[in-house]
Amino acid sequence: MSANSEEAQKLARMGMWATRVLLAIGAVLVVLEFIIHRHGKIALEDLPLFPAVYAFFICIFIVVVSIFLRKIAMKPEDYYDDE
Amino acid sequence: MMSDLLTMLPPGVLMVIVAAGLGLVPHHARQVVMFLAIAGSAFSLTAGAGMHLNLELLGFEMALYRADHLSLPFAIVFHIAAALNVFYGWHERRAMDHVAGLSYAGAAIAALHAGDLITLFIWWEATAITSVFLILASGTQRARHAAMRYLIVQVASGVLLLAGAAMLYADSGSLAFSAMTLGSAGTWLVFIAFGIKAAFPLLNGWLQDAYPEATVVGTVVLSAFTTKLAIYALARGFAGTELLIVIGCLMTAFPVFFAVIENDLRRVLAYSMNSQLGFMVVAIGIGTELAINGAVAHAFASIIYKGLLFMSMGAVLYRAGTVKASELGGLYKFMPLTMMFAIVGAMSVAAFPLFSGFVAKSLIMSALSYKGLVAAYLVLLAVSAAVIQYDGIRIPFFTFFRRESRKQVTEAPFGMLVAMGIASALCIGIGSFPGLFYQILPYSIDYNPYDANYVLGQTELLIFSILAFAFLMRFGFYPPELNSTVLNTDWLYRRLAVQAGRPVLWAVVAVWTSLISAIAGYRDAIWSAVERLVHAPITGPTVPGRAVLIQTLVLVAILAIGYLVAG
Repeated sequence: MSANSEEAQKLARMGMWATRVLLAIGAVLVVLEFIIHRHGKIALEDLPLFPAVYAFFICIFIVVVSIFLRKIAMKPEDYYDDE
Repeated sequence: MMSDLLTMLPPGVLMVIVAAGLGLVPHHARQVVMFLAIAGSAFSLTAGAGMHLNLELLGFEMALYRADHLSLPFAIVFHIAAALNVFYGWHERRAMDHVAGLSYAGAAIAALHAGDLITLFIWWEATAITSVFLILASGTQRARHAAMRYLIVQVASGVLLLAGAAMLYADSGSLAFSAMTLGSAGTWLVFIAFGIKAAFPLLNGWLQDAYPEATVVGTVVLSAFTTKLAIYALARGFAGTELLIVIGCLMTAFPVFFAVIENDLRRVLAYSMNSQLGFMVVAIGIGTELAINGAVAHAFASIIYKGLLFMSMGAVLYRAGTVKASELGGLYKFMPLTMMFAIVGAMSVAAFPLFSGFVAKSLIMSALSYKGLVAAYLVLLAVSAAVIQYDGIRIPFFTFFRRESRKQVTEAPFGMLVAMGIASALCIGIGSFPGLFYQILPYSIDYNPYDANYVLGQTELLIFSILAFAFLMRFGFYPPELNSTVLNTDWLYRRLAVQAGRPVLWAVVAVWTSLISAIAGYRDAIWSAVERLVHAPITGPTVPGRAVLIQTLVLVAILAIGYLVAG
């Protein structure tokens, strides 16, 4: 049991480090945004940090809609088993 | 002499012929024979562009082998996929997967080279009939049912194609498979036939229904050919059809929500594949040279990276006995190589710079922006971000990390690792050296995806998409993995049609039986009236008096009618 919880702690630490690394990359990208002066393919994309903000909110939107979709489309595992 | 013969034969046909005898070849030797067949088929491609084999049959001009700049990239990647599948299935001793897989790949390759609609129809149906065995080989009742539903839908697509071809022939007197304009009933039938195989919205149920029910090797084989053959057919027949932009956007967006909640990870990949097909359909709808290049590049890249993801989940299924997200986690310790390959596949589909998805998808995004299609652009951009949530997070992260493993498993078999290794190398190779890759596309273009703006924008999109996931996880909003069935459009014919059909059937039966009993009632009434008239059963022994009476009545009736008519 102790070996298992050790493994769980290790995974939790890996997750924490991964999140920190991602946050660091995110911060670097935000800084680069002001150095490179990125301009996108369409006018909307020229807004500062457009891809970051768009991606963040779209992903939250999609997960929220998916949770709602669960209510209508999710059935027990044996739903089709009587076929 | 031999080489002349090979270049005469349409590519793929050799694979179908060899597959027929493959069951007789023992394990290991079988794999070698398969490689030789694929190599022989690939050699046929050296015939180059042109019409190589025409046949006149029953007065129809059939073009069995047409090669051009559009069929070539598809033919190359179909051969690569077929070869990778041989490595991937090396551990499999049963012949069924291999016979079905090789003949299916061969049929799909032959279909690419069909110059007329009848030849296309023949190979179109051949892909359906050969591939169904990859699902049947699972051997479960569930798989048998899924296989039959798959076969019905696929054959229906072929029947629509044939009906459409017949109508086009009646209209124009030509069976040539070339660019069409939607309008006549014939073109619509062909369009819908292609749409079924390309998994258009509402016509997509078969894809998520059947693919995850196939064998470990079968799902990987299936993922490569059918839908991309349909993409090729759409690109040849309906490039520039604006309706495809709308269809493609719906097709890109809708599967996303299902991919987030589905529990069977191979089914998650099937939804994700549907969404990727949407990108190609949008590009075909735009129809410019850049867009068609984008559609073809995306098809090429996605056969490899989607195959790679299906391979990694197949390896997990093979070793852990399940690909249910709710039962997996922490496998990185046991299957580190499979984990790395899955991550390469995920980064390719997500289009990280230096991976194949990036150099393919950017062509489509550029084509959209040059045309000023902002709404479609934003839909595709949203899905480009969302792909992280399922192919990026749910596949590699939830399977290989997240929590401690409940299972003790071993690394995937050697053949699988070789296949995944080569596929990973191709994903990175294509992404890192796009120049070579762009050379095989239908139109020669001068395009550089590694523009600082675009690289920064795309990286930002992806990193913040992962951060959105981390945010949702941190605050406990991310939906938990649950054992479940998520309803999809196959519900329409598996449940709705059955439930709605039953009352209709009952009503028809009720009306029919009441009609029959009413007629029986009249018949009985007539007979009894006659009986009453003659005071004896009509079926009894002949009585002269009664016969005379009936004849007299009939004669009187005829006479009366005669007088009336004569006036």
